[in-house]
Amino acid sequence: MNHPLKKHFKKSLVAFAALTLVTLVISLSLGSVHIPFKSIVEILISRLPYMGHYYPSYPDARSTIILYIRLPRILLGFIAGISLAVSGSSMQGVFKNPMASPFILGVSAGGVLGTAVGIFFGIWWPLLPLMAFIFAMGTVFTVFFLGRVKGTTDITTLLLAGLAMNFMMTALTSLILFYSDPTDRMSIVAWTWGSLSGTIWNEVWITLTVALIGSALVYAYARDLNVMQTGEISAKQLGIDVEKTKIIQLVAASLLAAVVISFTGIIGFVGLIIPHASRLLVGPDHKKLIPISALLGGIFLVTCDTVSRMSGEIWVGVITGLFGAPFFIYLLIRNRGETGW
Amino acid sequence: MVILQLEDVKTGYTEKKPVLKELSLNMDNGEFIGVVGPNGSGKSTLIKTITKVVNPWEGTVRIKGRDVKDLSRDQIAKIAAVVPQDTYISFPFSVEEVVLMGRSPYLGRFENYGIEDKRIADGSMKTTETYRFKERKINEISGGEMQRVMVARALTQEPELLLLDEATSHLDIGHKKEVMDTIKEKNREEGLSVLSVHHNLNLAARYCDKILLLDQGKKHSFGRPEEVLTRTNLRAVYGIEAEVHRHPKDGSLYVSPVEDNIRSNDAAKKMRVHVICGGGSSKDLFRELIKENYGVTAGVLNVMDSDLEKADFLDIECVTEAPFSSITDRAYKNNLDMIKKADAVVVTDFPVGNGNLRNLKAVERSVKDDHELILISPHEIKERDYTEEKKAVKLYRKLLENKSDVATVKSIEGCLNHLRIMRTKDK
Repeated sequence: MNHPLKKHFKKSLVAFAALTLVTLVISLSLGSVHIPFKSIVEILISRLPYMGHYYPSYPDARSTIILYIRLPRILLGFIAGISLAVSGSSMQGVFKNPMASPFILGVSAGGVLGTAVGIFFGIWWPLLPLMAFIFAMGTVFTVFFLGRVKGTTDITTLLLAGLAMNFMMTALTSLILFYSDPTDRMSIVAWTWGSLSGTIWNEVWITLTVALIGSALVYAYARDLNVMQTGEISAKQLGIDVEKTKIIQLVAASLLAAVVISFTGIIGFVGLIIPHASRLLVGPDHKKLIPISALLGGIFLVTCDTVSRMSGEIWVGVITGLFGAPFFIYLLIRNRGETGW
Repeated sequence: MVILQLEDVKTGYTEKKPVLKELSLNMDNGEFIGVVGPNGSGKSTLIKTITKVVNPWEGTVRIKGRDVKDLSRDQIAKIAAVVPQDTYISFPFSVEEVVLMGRSPYLGRFENYGIEDKRIADGSMKTTETYRFKERKINEISGGEMQRVMVARALTQEPELLLLDEATSHLDIGHKKEVMDTIKEKNREEGLSVLSVHHNLNLAARYCDKILLLDQGKKHSFGRPEEVLTRTNLRAVYGIEAEVHRHPKDGSLYVSPVEDNIRSNDAAKKMRVHVICGGGSSKDLFRELIKENYGVTAGVLNVMDSDLEKADFLDIECVTEAPFSSITDRAYKNNLDMIKKADAVVVTDFPVGNGNLRNLKAVERSVKDDHELILISPHEIKERDYTEEKKAVKLYRKLLENKSDVATVKSIEGCLNHLRIMRTKDK
């Protein structure tokens, strides 16, 4: 496969944006209560400024379902998909390794531990995301600290430190699981598979803000990331501030993933396969890869969450894995023998 | 105008272990300077210091009169471009994308490559003859093509100073010449200044106007090739005995290590095998022969031929010829002498051209002499005969007519087996 969309990048971007809209609207109409497209459009338009005069607001339950249940959930799914995919693209670039994921620096393991600690000590539940976030970023900064060698960030040391901290956090979580009662145990395990149910608008605004800032930072340093693929010394000799690029990319990518999983729990696979699939479509140039990954990640996660909603709330991480893994294997077989992802 | 100036530079990686010591150098615009010296003498560190990858502990580095300390990475990259020894790129960028990276120091953070940038990249791809495969993935091209791409990327930086960090050391002789010729042309025609770190003395002597010989981080000598590459200097820095010759055609210097007496005597005691090869055709033969305790000699090999490099590495006595030159009478005669002394002569499946046809003539002339002659894959000569009028094919046909004296084997393993049988018979 030879990067079929590389030459048509702008057209592809428009096509994927259109596909995004279609996915969002279809997803809004699907669920335990069927709501026709016409009503959805009317409900949405009625909420736009100055439009309320022309479309009197729907007072019925359908309006509530759309505006307070489905819409925030679908938007959070979309934002989470974007964040995880952009984070994965960035991590794979910094580590120069197609096996890197948003969780490589311990975001997920830290997040689980934070949640487990919170549940174990019976912390007021709205504070659980804050616990997850603090532990996730705490782990990342510990790994960062360990990865500093002589004033520079050493990628191999970082990788190993991430591995060690992942083990450490997972072991501590298991210890908590061991002493927890069955109900708490179930909540903790459920968290490790992620869910978008019960999303409220505030979560959408917070993740949206972080997604915009984080993705903008990753994109701003996209060309630097490209040049770094030819080696760090070579990049320096081409005028790149390698250290700054690494720190910005790693912090932005970790933040993107940490904020999302704090609200949703761990949703795996998106941050690993979406960058892969996008690279196969548009090639490894991060200037193209990051926007395409973002849209593809959003579409993929909204689709998976819709399946989750339609199938009695199976954890969304299970769906991404069930969809993602076979697709991944398909790509693997299709590209077997070809060099370079 | 001085483009590069080093003043008493001292630097290194670990404390108290300086790699460069009190190094000073003045380089004028348009000069082609070679840097040579043994492993660990600080050659590559020099390039890293010039490009601010390594900072000097003491002393200053100035590019166009400005201290690199006061220049940003972008500013340095607009003046000085580096071609590294080898590059590994993890993702399948196209050749064009890699070359365009050379425009990076000229672009703002959110700026994209413009028409002008593409025009410059196209130009350097055409110069390095990489344009025709610009769409190909970088991890699917050969090592020689890769180095040309890296030269194209460096030229796309529109540098005034090109720094080569053993840029051709992994390339075979043909590609070495191709890459160096391209750079020499840029130097001559456009006044591009070149500082080129070399492992290979002969390459340095051939292309550089001046040579800096480094010894343990210090300047040992600096000047024109004939002033620097002398027997005395080579003995002092490399600890070898070497002859320095002038190339018969273009007058450039070349160096070939000389055999000392101890080793030749050693060869005299053992069963002697003379190998006629070239162009890498000897494969593992030298090593296997040494392992099985034969006295090995070889010839005639051109300096810079990969077979000669292998032979030098194993201390094998060779008849040598100037690089890229046809076999002269002197070498031809020396080769005949060695063939006469040998108990067995092995002819590998090397490519034959007009330049080395005399190697086969020497074999043909001595075929009746009292030694075993082993030919590796003689029947495939048609595919590797590059002479006019298929002279090599004819010579092989003559050799094979003397069936009783000539053994034919298909591989190096077959050749070794044949020699083993021969040795047991003798005993």
